[in-house]
Amino acid sequence: MNRTKPETPDSETTDETLLRTDDVTKKFGQLTAINDVSMSIPEGEITSIIGPNGAGKTTLFNLFTGKYEPTSGQIRFRDERIDGMAPHDIVDKGVVRSFQITNFFDDLTTRENVRLATQAQYSGFGASDFLRHYTSLDGAVDDAEAVLERVHLLDVADRQASNLSYGQRRHLEIGIALAAGPDLLLMDEPTAGMSPEETLDTVELIEEIASDTTLVLIEHDMDIVMDISEFIVVMNEGELIARGDPAEIRTDDRVQRAYLGGE
Amino acid sequence: MREIVAMFDPRRTSVGDSQILTSRGRLAVFGLIVLLGVLGPVVAIVEPYWLYILVQVLVFALLALSLDFVFGYAGLLSFGHAAMFGAGGYSAALLITEVTPNALVVLPVAMLTGVAVAAVIGWFSVRSRGIYFAMLTLAFAQMFYVAAFADLPATLLGVESITGGDNGIYGIALYELIGIDLSDRINYYFLTLLLVALSLAFLVRLANSPFGRVLQGIRENEERVAFIGYDVRRYKVVGFAISGGFAGLAGGLYVPFQSLAHPQFLHWTVSGELVVMLLLGGMGTLWGPMLGAASVIILEEMLGGIAAWEVILGGIFVVVVIFAPRGLAGVLISLKEDPRNALTNAKNAIENYVRKVRGKS
Repeated sequence: MNRTKPETPDSETTDETLLRTDDVTKKFGQLTAINDVSMSIPEGEITSIIGPNGAGKTTLFNLFTGKYEPTSGQIRFRDERIDGMAPHDIVDKGVVRSFQITNFFDDLTTRENVRLATQAQYSGFGASDFLRHYTSLDGAVDDAEAVLERVHLLDVADRQASNLSYGQRRHLEIGIALAAGPDLLLMDEPTAGMSPEETLDTVELIEEIASDTTLVLIEHDMDIVMDISEFIVVMNEGELIARGDPAEIRTDDRVQRAYLGGE
Repeated sequence: MREIVAMFDPRRTSVGDSQILTSRGRLAVFGLIVLLGVLGPVVAIVEPYWLYILVQVLVFALLALSLDFVFGYAGLLSFGHAAMFGAGGYSAALLITEVTPNALVVLPVAMLTGVAVAAVIGWFSVRSRGIYFAMLTLAFAQMFYVAAFADLPATLLGVESITGGDNGIYGIALYELIGIDLSDRINYYFLTLLLVALSLAFLVRLANSPFGRVLQGIRENEERVAFIGYDVRRYKVVGFAISGGFAGLAGGLYVPFQSLAHPQFLHWTVSGELVVMLLLGGMGTLWGPMLGAASVIILEEMLGGIAAWEVILGGIFVVVVIFAPRGLAGVLISLKEDPRNALTNAKNAIENYVRKVRGKS
């Protein structure tokens, strides 16, 4: 274990930093899942987090979205601390995630899955939220239609979510996250398990979403990562071992050793 | 343990439609209410005793409805709804004997008592899920039972009697409602029918409101609801409190009618019987459990004379759970959707079960 830390972690907030972590550590009992990670996510770009299994990528997402609280360190979104906040408050700030394993409302229709997510921005605990019919909440209904169109699910909007094809289910997973109105969208392996055709389709969707949303991807497909990312963060065994643009990462020695296996 | 939870998993047994009561369903419910309105006076003349049973049917239908709103619709497995029922009943008993028998005062207070008790129980319990939530609500309800049984409020306040201990509070007068003689059973029946109908209309509306949709989402996938921006805990507590209000109203209607508030109303067996009504009726549909409640009360009345009528109820329960896991509501819905294949469907259900028991797939 004579790994060297990356020289001078450059985590100073610049104008373009949307989310940053300062010395974040997460321990589960004896296991250190995330070890002293400082990084910043630039606004308006596609950042990919890569690394072998168990590197702590999904744990990072869980820390960003409030599922876990860091053992130490701070997480800031738009310069406001979000570590320790409840998941729904973090969503309100604009940080939303999609899941690696499709995680939605199987018994509801595709449309209702998305509408429920858009509704969060329109309803609360006012009298009318109890007494009006849910379909009369026009804003939520209209937004849901727009999202369905964006993720190409308008044709199957009335189908029960559990009856969608695999590729459609993955798109719905993204659609629900989009519907929650993210400024920063964290996507956990959006192309996992997809056929080459579905993958191509999804990459197109990701690039389209990136036109107005900052994206962070966890992705295993190196071709996709190198192709669409503007910024790459490499994790290994809970530590950040490299960062940079695709060209830098491709030639980084530590990355070669830890991850790319000298390809 | 997992099997026990799975049995009560509303996703398994509920009718997973996106909307509670279609327009035809509403029409059927409305027709049934009108029918009950006409039936009342007829029963009052032909067989007055059955009017008493009908009021009981209505009260327990309301209680089952209130439970289903959280249990079946929101997936909160409350095994403690007797607490809100009893609390509403006791508050009505105390108000009537000590303050006023005016229904316009007492019934709202009974409701608010139910809301308050449910808010407290809910606030402490909603962090746990599934069987743990069920056990917590059960434990809370038993605490209320013991408090009433031992008359803890009297001990705490240093007075002789408040809940009346194991005797309960008896000799409770019937309500007064401006110009209407509620000691006439038929009028009490109409009041109860009206309030049950209004409660059903309100809860169906609530189930189809933006708030209700979030509750349904929580039932389907609690984690995801939080990650699209909803405060799950707050939704659960509010939903539970609203449900408690209607359980309290049921208590407030039951106690003066029985002329008695008794610790037995708070006992866990009441909560347990309610869950049976839900499973029989088909949870998550709101109207199904009301049918379930009616079936149980009427069966109990007709078969209660037989020494072991619980065995019969148990048998019916087993048959329904095995062959019609979506309850009476599920049977009615499949009959409506597919009337021609009713026999084939029933045959298939039996064959499937036999195959399962034999362990061949």
